[in-house]
Amino acid sequence: MRTISRQEFLKAGTALPLALQSLDLRAATKPKSTVPPRRIIFICSCLGFYEPYFFPKKRGDLGTSDYLKGMKTRDKMTVFQNLFHPGMDTSNHDSEKSFLTGSLSPESPTFSNGISLDQVLARQMGGDTRFPFLNFSIYDRGWGISWNDRGSPIPPMHDEEKIFGKLFKEEDLQAKKQQLRNDQNILDCLHRDMAQLRKRGSQPGKLDSYKAAIRELEAQLDHEKFWLNAQKPKVEKSLSEDREFAFSTKISNLFELAKLAFRTDSTRVITLSMDWIDGAIKVPGATGGWHTLSHHGGKPNMIGQLSKIEIDPLKHFNRFLYEMDQIKEGEGTLLDHTTVVMGSNFGDSSNHTCNNLPMIVAGVGIVTKPKRCSKSRLRCATSTSNCSTSTTSTQARLEVARRIWGCSRCDGNYLSNLQKITLLALGSLNKFDPSRVLTYDYA
Amino acid sequence: MHFPANRGILLLALALQVTLLSEANPLETPLGKQAFQRFEKYCFDCHDEESKKGDLDLVALLEKGGDHTLAFENLVTAKMPPKNKKQPSAQEKRLMLDWLARRQAENNPDPYRRISRHEFIHSANDLLGVELDLTGEIPEDRGTNDFDSDRRIKLTREMLASYFSVADEMLEFALPAEGFPAERTWLTNKIKDSHKTYNLYTRKYKEGILFSWTRANNGNSYSFFYDNFDPPVKGWYELTFDAMKLGDFPEDVSLEVFAGKYYYADDRPQPQRLLDVISLGNRELKSHKVKVFLRPGENVSVHCYSKHNFRQRNGNQGAYVKQLKVRGPILDQWPPTSYKQIFGDLPLKTPVREAKEVSMTQTNLKAIGGNVTVSSFQKGMEMERMLDGSNRTFWHTRFKPTLAKPPHHVTIENPDSKEIEGLNYATWTGGNGNGQVKAYAIHLSEDGKNWGPPILKGDLEIRLANEQPILFPEKTTKRFIKFLVADAHSIDGRSIASIGKLDVMTSFSPNDSTAKITVSSSSPDELKNVIKRFAEKAFSSSLSEEELAPYYGVSLNSLKEQGDFVQAAKHGLKAVLCSHRFLMAPGEHANQSYSRAAHLARILWLSVPDEKLLGLSKTKTLSAQTIPAQIDRMLKDEKSRRMIHSFCDQWLNLRSFDKVTPSLKLYPKYDDLLNHYLPIETEAYLEHLIRENLPVGYLIDSDFSILNQCLAQHYGIEGVISQEMRKVSFKPSVPRGGLLTMGSVLKVTADGFDTSPILRGAWISKNIAGNTLSPPPEDIEVIEPEHGKDAATLREQIEVHKNNQACFACHKSIDPYGFALESFDATGQWRVRYRVKKPHGGTFQYRPKGYYDLTGVVDPSGEIEKEKFKDIFGLKKILLSDHKRIAYNFIKKLFEYANGYKPSLNQRLDLFALIPDEPNECRMKDLITKTLVYSLGDAQE
Repeated sequence: MRTISRQEFLKAGTALPLALQSLDLRAATKPKSTVPPRRIIFICSCLGFYEPYFFPKKRGDLGTSDYLKGMKTRDKMTVFQNLFHPGMDTSNHDSEKSFLTGSLSPESPTFSNGISLDQVLARQMGGDTRFPFLNFSIYDRGWGISWNDRGSPIPPMHDEEKIFGKLFKEEDLQAKKQQLRNDQNILDCLHRDMAQLRKRGSQPGKLDSYKAAIRELEAQLDHEKFWLNAQKPKVEKSLSEDREFAFSTKISNLFELAKLAFRTDSTRVITLSMDWIDGAIKVPGATGGWHTLSHHGGKPNMIGQLSKIEIDPLKHFNRFLYEMDQIKEGEGTLLDHTTVVMGSNFGDSSNHTCNNLPMIVAGVGIVTKPKRCSKSRLRCATSTSNCSTSTTSTQARLEVARRIWGCSRCDGNYLSNLQKITLLALGSLNKFDPSRVLTYDYA
Repeated sequence: MHFPANRGILLLALALQVTLLSEANPLETPLGKQAFQRFEKYCFDCHDEESKKGDLDLVALLEKGGDHTLAFENLVTAKMPPKNKKQPSAQEKRLMLDWLARRQAENNPDPYRRISRHEFIHSANDLLGVELDLTGEIPEDRGTNDFDSDRRIKLTREMLASYFSVADEMLEFALPAEGFPAERTWLTNKIKDSHKTYNLYTRKYKEGILFSWTRANNGNSYSFFYDNFDPPVKGWYELTFDAMKLGDFPEDVSLEVFAGKYYYADDRPQPQRLLDVISLGNRELKSHKVKVFLRPGENVSVHCYSKHNFRQRNGNQGAYVKQLKVRGPILDQWPPTSYKQIFGDLPLKTPVREAKEVSMTQTNLKAIGGNVTVSSFQKGMEMERMLDGSNRTFWHTRFKPTLAKPPHHVTIENPDSKEIEGLNYATWTGGNGNGQVKAYAIHLSEDGKNWGPPILKGDLEIRLANEQPILFPEKTTKRFIKFLVADAHSIDGRSIASIGKLDVMTSFSPNDSTAKITVSSSSPDELKNVIKRFAEKAFSSSLSEEELAPYYGVSLNSLKEQGDFVQAAKHGLKAVLCSHRFLMAPGEHANQSYSRAAHLARILWLSVPDEKLLGLSKTKTLSAQTIPAQIDRMLKDEKSRRMIHSFCDQWLNLRSFDKVTPSLKLYPKYDDLLNHYLPIETEAYLEHLIRENLPVGYLIDSDFSILNQCLAQHYGIEGVISQEMRKVSFKPSVPRGGLLTMGSVLKVTADGFDTSPILRGAWISKNIAGNTLSPPPEDIEVIEPEHGKDAATLREQIEVHKNNQACFACHKSIDPYGFALESFDATGQWRVRYRVKKPHGGTFQYRPKGYYDLTGVVDPSGEIEKEKFKDIFGLKKILLSDHKRIAYNFIKKLFEYANGYKPSLNQRLDLFALIPDEPNECRMKDLITKTLVYSLGDAQE
């Protein structure tokens, strides 16, 4: 087994957090740093929330929101208003695909997605933990809100038992070890060949260029090997088995698993997609189709039913935040070191519009003083028709956006909003280089 | 360019010399003095500090040094001095150009590059003798660079990690450790269930199904999934549709064949891959075969498309498919080519590969002679309906006239005591989920009376339309199996149950029907030969014992440790495929000929050299004399299509073709079939120009293109029937012909809604006319022209450029091209007036007439380089008048594509000299050949 010095790494001239940090880990071999790590979770409720019940009636007072007034951690939450997703032009089905990617026209047959924000962050923050990231969904649909750098969906996990097993159960390691051994043999072979070529005076730049990549790959294998030998954390199984309200149970369990994963530092990046389920679901006080009810068309009885369904995930969300806030960590609590972003791709799902998206940030990154955006930075940078320069509604929207927390469209698109939130949230993160996120090519 | 080490040194020396020269006062060298005088004579009148036309102070530039590219390009393409001014003689011009080229600091590209993911996949496929497209599993690392081959792109860990895993997957596909599964044949004429609002676009017809055409729902063409066929392993399958057209019209209907995960139509469409298009022009039943690659978990679906492109319900027109026959996974031969290619003449142990029929009606239950009883049934929803192998029909417990009391159950009898591993369950997918089973228990009995405790309890997903296997803890041969409904979904609380499909799983262990090929050898020498042969092809070189040693070593270790010859070989082959000798270009080549062979194969085939090229290399006979004939041969080979595809993607930016989707409000007739064929037209056309060696002017204009029915319809050309691509001639009044007016180009240069003359103009300027432009000045307001009610304002918005000297210097060479293309909308259709969107109330609903108003009249006129044009015809004429410029741009792009960097000014001088003066002698294949020969350097051994 080769070992690589940090120096050698840096000489290769590549910033590779994942590999680097795994080396760190080995070098450090605990005692753990006393500074608690930063974490982030993105939650998307794909059918949104009924706006009049969700948003506070009075600015700055969450007690005036029907849905949020019961939240126990209100003082650690910010609600953002007037975010919207440009380029959503048709009926916006599937817009949750773009929730963390900002890609346009998700329902077109030729849609191709980009990398999602959690994945960009996982590249930065994933190296220190067994799982660089986790992504959950409430049922098996093949996609959630995490998309890789090729724009392909990363299939989300939805089975609580399996997720629990993956996080906390020991597994058979033989095949995996054999594979790692084979690859190590191949790497050794390639090193031998390079050594003889170097002797024979082959193009040194070319060899170095290749060697830099090989070194990093070796570090990655090291990461995998390292975690193969590390024991998984042991936790009490605390999943609900309530079968009467299966939908509610599923969401509650996924929040529980997210909490456990953060608490045991098994990962630092999680996504949870609450996709809409066709057919009827049963929650306390109502039974009906979530999707059907979301097209309430303003009918009071449907809104009544819908609100019972919508409040249910928020109930679990509330408990999640509260429990995170009860777990002591460093000077504060687990919640104090975690950014929680909860929102939706739809503003008004009854009309399928992507304006005024609901968005909550809790934990790290809450805004105490709304920021304002200077007028000189107003410029339309995209070329979609939605981004036309001078309609009154746009003006009005910009005005509102500026008032709340900085303009949501003036200097970029939806994605940069999320980036802003995230950067706000991660502002003080060690080793985190915001420029890498901001300059990432999303085109 | 493939420079051997000594050439690299030469370059370095040149660069040093250049640095020295540029540091010296230009006026003090004799050459400098002479050249400077010429510039004074021909250029300084306009481009000195005072006049500074086009924002260019040439005096300062020449004295102080800087980027001379613009001056060079304008001079070499005779754009400058302007035609109405004094012109330098050929000799003078050469002197000026030489001097500029010498003074220009070289950008010194790295003398190597990483190969692209496309080159990796094609090469590995050719080496292994398989066809497996895993490009999607390797990250795109091109970023914002134009060309895949760009030398500034470095190999990264992510790429290398993908190559490691993709190499494993490809080797496993070529030489599977567990052997090859039996070839099966499926026969089906049933489709899976869909929502009732979609089901009415299909109906039973004769022995099969009639698919009426559907256009779209919310922008997605809706397709129907065939039932009773699930690909068991990934591989190639042959689909045979026995189908015909129904309808009294001359045009085709087309059957689009997709692969994707089955979804129920009321759910949102899942991403599907278009596999092929079958053109049904016939009115009698014919077999249409397509060969497709499928993965487990995918199903085959079809969508009927017709030129009458809105949906027709319960129709009697459309595509009648009597049945679908699937055969596979198919191999090219037995034993497969991969073994011959990798192991050569080594004796193989080849067991017989089984062929199996899978019947469409023969459920496993029928095959074992089983019987079924149910606790109750509703009339019209009898138990047969869950046993017919389809989830469109279902069994339901009785609810009329009286409600059947629980427990609800299904009992299966297994009279011949066959081994049963479990049950296969599927919901029926219609309705609101009422009655669907949520939890079950399985009981066994010998006599059907005494049931023990349940052997298994479990839950079922009610939203999942796919089959859900229920695997017993162990196989059973007991005579009776009871499926007891423990809980079912009920909207009103009444006790009911229903099942769409239920069958038994019998002992079909996949292992007992695989055929594993082994090599009858355990000889280290023979293993060495295998690795050597493969490595020499992959590395395009002969290898000494010493060079081979590491690769052979990996294999030999494995052979010693595990004793499996084929597995041992795989380790060595993987090392070869992940080696820097393979992943970096140029590799390590035993002589110049090998290096040239590798270069040519990479450019023209995106692959490794074939036996012929290696043969010439071995004898060191791949030289300037023999190369043109090889290029000719290679262009005739099918593999050169990869180059055409790749070059179109990169040069013409067709790789961005799918990035935008035309608005359904403005362009409701744009559909995915058209989207599929538009880039194909461009590739087919370019291929035609190259194969036929036509003059370079055909890039700009011609009286034909390669079209099919849907493209012709899009272009408004009549009488083209069926979707086969063929050469179609145009009348002179047709504005098509050439690249500029192709739908693919017109779409990729627009944003799906509006067209921007600036964007389109920039595309022509960069990719066709080859203008060199300085980067836009900083701190400039972005102009976003909008098509309002008044078309004149668009022009006004853009003409802002004219008022600003800094903008106008470049935009006078950009915007006008775009104005000529204003006659084409964002999908490439001809237009006279602009369309503007109309709002729609509530949720967007697709409608064939769209949501738009017609507004201002298009004005396609303009002026470029002092020449006026009225419309696209005029612009083409202007572009055609200077064939050398078109050719020069083309070969510069080709050079960059082939070598991964822009040619230096010195190289540009050489390239320009390759272009014939006579337009008719300036032909595509000749230009390609000359450019490639040139980029191989002095092709002497």
